[in-house]
Amino acid sequence: MKRILTLLALASSSSFGQVGYVNFVRQSQQSTSVVWDMPVAPKGAAPSALLIEENGALFQLWTIEQNGGRDFLLDQKLVGAYLPAAAITITTLDPNGAVRRTRIDKPFTVNVNISRLLSGTGLPLAATQVLLQQYVAPYPAGSFTLNPTTVISGTPASARSITSNGIDSRAYAPAVRPLAPTTDITKGLGEEHFVVHALSDGTFSQTQLASASVQVWPVASGEIQGIIPNKTYGMDLPIPTIVLKDLYPRSDTYLLLFEGTGTSGPSVIVKPYPVDRAETDSTTIVVPELLSKATKEGSYTLALVSDTVYGRELLGPAISFTMKGSIRVNAMQMTFSDGATP
Amino acid sequence: MKTPLIPFVTFALASQFCHAQLILERVTPESLAKIRQESHVATAPSENVPENQIARPTEQSIIRDSTILNDGKNWTIIPRGAIVYLPEALKAKTTGKPVGTLLPFIDFVSRNPSWITTNEVTFDQAAGNEALPPTKIAFWAKQDKLVIAVHLRGPISVQIPKTIPALSKK
Repeated sequence: MKRILTLLALASSSSFGQVGYVNFVRQSQQSTSVVWDMPVAPKGAAPSALLIEENGALFQLWTIEQNGGRDFLLDQKLVGAYLPAAAITITTLDPNGAVRRTRIDKPFTVNVNISRLLSGTGLPLAATQVLLQQYVAPYPAGSFTLNPTTVISGTPASARSITSNGIDSRAYAPAVRPLAPTTDITKGLGEEHFVVHALSDGTFSQTQLASASVQVWPVASGEIQGIIPNKTYGMDLPIPTIVLKDLYPRSDTYLLLFEGTGTSGPSVIVKPYPVDRAETDSTTIVVPELLSKATKEGSYTLALVSDTVYGRELLGPAISFTMKGSIRVNAMQMTFSDGATP
Repeated sequence: MKTPLIPFVTFALASQFCHAQLILERVTPESLAKIRQESHVATAPSENVPENQIARPTEQSIIRDSTILNDGKNWTIIPRGAIVYLPEALKAKTTGKPVGTLLPFIDFVSRNPSWITTNEVTFDQAAGNEALPPTKIAFWAKQDKLVIAVHLRGPISVQIPKTIPALSKK
């Protein structure tokens, strides 16, 4: 009996679907221990050409660095004629990105589709239930890559049995913790992996029927330095510095200047900072542009905001200040006045 | 004399003008903890599960579990047991380390036709249910290339039958 191999989507991770990696799909027969490397195209699906034995076959998708020699197990599935079948999909509020992603404060849904479970008395446990496990792992410092094998070889964060066929949907709150010494729970970042296992009588070397993962990114934060809140400035308006931390992948961040003491009216963009990458970003920027924006007498408010799929959000406290006197600017020259005739 | 405020500033301001837009407050650790507490999303305590019936992958490595072929410049991997004939003079090319550039198996073979050849086998032959044809085995011994068993162009491990082969019912 042949089974179509649609289960291992190549290039399933942004880091690994790029030039510089070679993919391998290895099929290991559980009964005869025959091992076969399927010829694979960079993307797509192909039928398994080997028989699926009674005890099943383990399909593994590996990728190996072309010049570094490090190997990564991206996905694996155990498929058998008499095994339950499972598929997992994860849905988040962020539809973008090659890899499913969410933010630490945004729940996501895990949909598990189970089929071929049997019901009745006297049946072996393996035929009547499967096990869903959740693994949570933070990214190591300075890295946004995890080896899936390592993640799912630890102790699961949660586990539960599924005993009926059909779609099992459940919402999860991201549980990734921030990397020590940080204790701010809004700064959790890492991955959550979900695995459906068949129950084994010891004849399988592995029991993974399906798996899926989601990246969890922290909530961005920011700080405006150099401008003292509620201070009145004249010619001495300092050049501020903005400190941006953990900006969300594919987001647009702005330092905005509002007239008045609030952030509800129209504003002027003092400094834009787009993030067009698949990982979080942090940076520090000096913003001399403010001097050419706050040119009239009156009160102003500076706010750091970030536009993401979740809306426009403040990155930190807005800062109000007052300008007394005026700054006049032309293209080549800046002239200051505090009201006295020079 | 005061410098007049020139139109350039007005233009620059207008070009970067933002209409009023709803700005959400940043979530704080306290507000996030409260949201989690009040929501019904799973924080998922574990149930009693038959943990001893779960076979997890341990520290795996496809490279470690494979035979590495290396031509001095490039390398590739094949399942252990896929080499069905190995001339003594070529042993050094099969014990190499992953040094150089990794190539897919088919590319590696096509770049090294002078010392590698492949032999298509059936699944029953790979599983050891059926012996490899003696004439082929005899032929391999008379040539000087390394012979790799393949199934539909993909390298496959071959088990040597321990007893009289029993044909499958395929």
